[in-house]
Formats: sequence, C-alpha cells, structure tokens
Amino acid sequence: MGKIVGGFLVPHDPVMFVAPEAPAEDIRKRMWGAFDTCAERLAGLEATSVVIIGADHYFNFGTGCLPQYIIGTGDVDGPLDVLPGLKRQIIPASEKLAGFIADHGHANGFDWAVARAFTVDHAVAIPDRLIIDPVRARGQSIGTIPVYIAAGVDPFIKMKRAIELGGAIKAAVEAMPDDERVVVIGSGGISHWVGTPEMGKVNEAFDREIMDYACTGNLAAIQALSDDYILDNGGNGGMEIRQWAVAMGAMPGARGEIIDYAPVREWVTGLGFVQLFA
Amino acid sequence: MSRNVLEKLMHQLCVDRTVKQRFKEDPEGLLARYALSEEERAMVTGFDVAGMQKHGVNPMLTLGFWTENAPNRHPAAYMKALRGAAAAEGQVFSAGLKQ
Repeated sequence: MGKIVGGFLVPHDPVMFVAPEAPAEDIRKRMWGAFDTCAERLAGLEATSVVIIGADHYFNFGTGCLPQYIIGTGDVDGPLDVLPGLKRQIIPASEKLAGFIADHGHANGFDWAVARAFTVDHAVAIPDRLIIDPVRARGQSIGTIPVYIAAGVDPFIKMKRAIELGGAIKAAVEAMPDDERVVVIGSGGISHWVGTPEMGKVNEAFDREIMDYACTGNLAAIQALSDDYILDNGGNGGMEIRQWAVAMGAMPGARGEIIDYAPVREWVTGLGFVQLFA
Repeated sequence: MSRNVLEKLMHQLCVDRTVKQRFKEDPEGLLARYALSEEERAMVTGFDVAGMQKHGVNPMLTLGFWTENAPNRHPAAYMKALRGAAAAEGQVFSAGLKQ
C-alpha cells in the first residue's frame, strides 16, 4: 500500500536562471541553498515517486485546449522552455503510479486529462532538476509524476477543487497495492506579477499570510481566498498558490515549516520554501 | 472584438517558430488568416501590449509576444509600452525568459 511521506511547497522562478546574478549575493546563496535543503530533506524521506504540481504558463496549452487538471502518465521530459543552465532532458517517470492515479480518479469523480508523453515546462522541470535530481545522483531511484492545474490561464480551477484534487491524489496513492513512498511538491508562487504593469512588485504580507496557512495546515483559510483578493494582493502569478493548495489537500492536517523566504524583486517573486510533514 | 483569437495568435507568436518568421516577413499576410478587427490588427502590428491587456489578453502572452517578436526586446521597452513613458522611470524587473 502506498503512502504520502512528505511534501514541499517551493517556487519555480525562471528568472533565477535567466538573471542569476541580479540579487545581492547573500540572497542568491540563500535561495539556491533552500533548494539544496529541500533536496537534502527529500533524500531522508526515501521516496519512490514525487508528484510535482505545476501550472501552465500558456506554453504547453493553447486556446485550443485548456485543461483544468492533467497528469503525465507516460514518458516525461523538459523543460519545453529551455533556460540558461536548464537544458531539456529526459525526466525519470513513475508510469505505473501515475496511471493508477488517473484510473482511480476516473472511477471516483475526477476526470483527469492525461498526457502520455509530456514535455513539461519550467514549473515542473525546475523543482525536478534542483530537488529530485540531486537525490537521484546519490543513487535513489525516484520517478516524477507531473500534474498541471489551471492557475495561469483562465478559466482557473476553483480553489475548492484544487484542494479536492489533492485529496484524490492521496486516495489513489493509498489505494495503490505497491509500497510506494510518495512526496508531493506544490510548485509556484508566492506573490508575483507576470507581464503586468506591476511586474517586479512583491507583497511580503501576502506571502507570509499564505505560508502561515501552509504551516498551520489551514485549508479552510486557503479555500476562502477569493480570486480578486489573490489577484490584488498576490498578482496574476499569485494564483499559483493553487498548486500549494493541491499539495496541502493531499496532506490534510499536516503541519509545515518554513525552510526560507525572501521577497526578491530582481527575481520578480516572493520566494517561499515550506516543508510539509506527514 | 475577439480576445480568444488574439490569444490564439499571441500563443503562436510565443511558441511557433514558423508563425514568428511569417510575422516578421509578412505581418499583413499572416494576420489575414485570423478573424481580427482593424483595431486588433493595429494592436498586434503596433505592439500595443497595454491595449491588448485592456482587451483581456493574458499578460503572460503579451510578455512572451514582446520578448519573442518586438524590435526592441529589452524589458525596459516592454514596461514603457505597458506603463507609458512617464511611468517608465526607475529600475525595471522582468519575468521574461530572455533578457
């Protein structure tokens, strides 16, 4: 029987790769170091699969098809949007569990769209490269399961449904006959304004509010946030706290701990790193 | 007025190399394939990202469109186009994937 053994909530900021030298040196070291800390802690969890929840940035999906949520059940590679220091590569997958999650969802009211061969964008590729790859390099075999939700392009998935989707992942993992040890990573946020006149603004108060909800496992508070509130206080990029909500929904009652946080205007984002404890 | 068709075109001008090349070489010919109004066509050829956002186009697309296709792709030029000249003073930070 599978179980969820831990979780992380992390940013997937491409500007860290595009302009790595932009912030002050101590900030740079702390933020890259926070990813290293996540990798170190992931290694201790002895995971067999990691579900990374990201959001499309209008790269993967166009106006012809905008899924509310989709899971990669086959081959995975990425990123689609290659960056300096983040070239495209094959990503070890976890096909059996991913397929099981999709099947279990289809039988229980969650009509997953599936991607049988999925070139993910930076939302999944960055945490995979910075958190999971270092653990694979130590000899641990970990498969990545990409999940994308509609948080960057409307119609946005409802926050309530995002939390329920996390619950569906949890239920599937626990119904899996194999002894899978699964970690969930909510990839995104926190406050950032992408392409809007406010780009470069970071709202630390909003970021700390969201991290507080994450650390106290306050799903009710996350669910109560209106889209207008998030857009006004967290920006269009702040809608990505839905990925955090999915991860939190997969670990109801879990408490969290802030690994690090910094509002980094040079990287246009409030970068928050939280570990969730099963 | 069609935000949807504009977004379709913007998406292609972000990710499709062939469409980007056609836009560079023959913008009018390319735009004729899309059900756009005169006003919308002018927004595209004039790189009026502020107008497109007011029209409802996703800001991630306007940023990508600018970064991939504008004559001056510098982030400061994008922010100037978005905010107007008066608001373009000071340091500019960009989420663009090419800087």
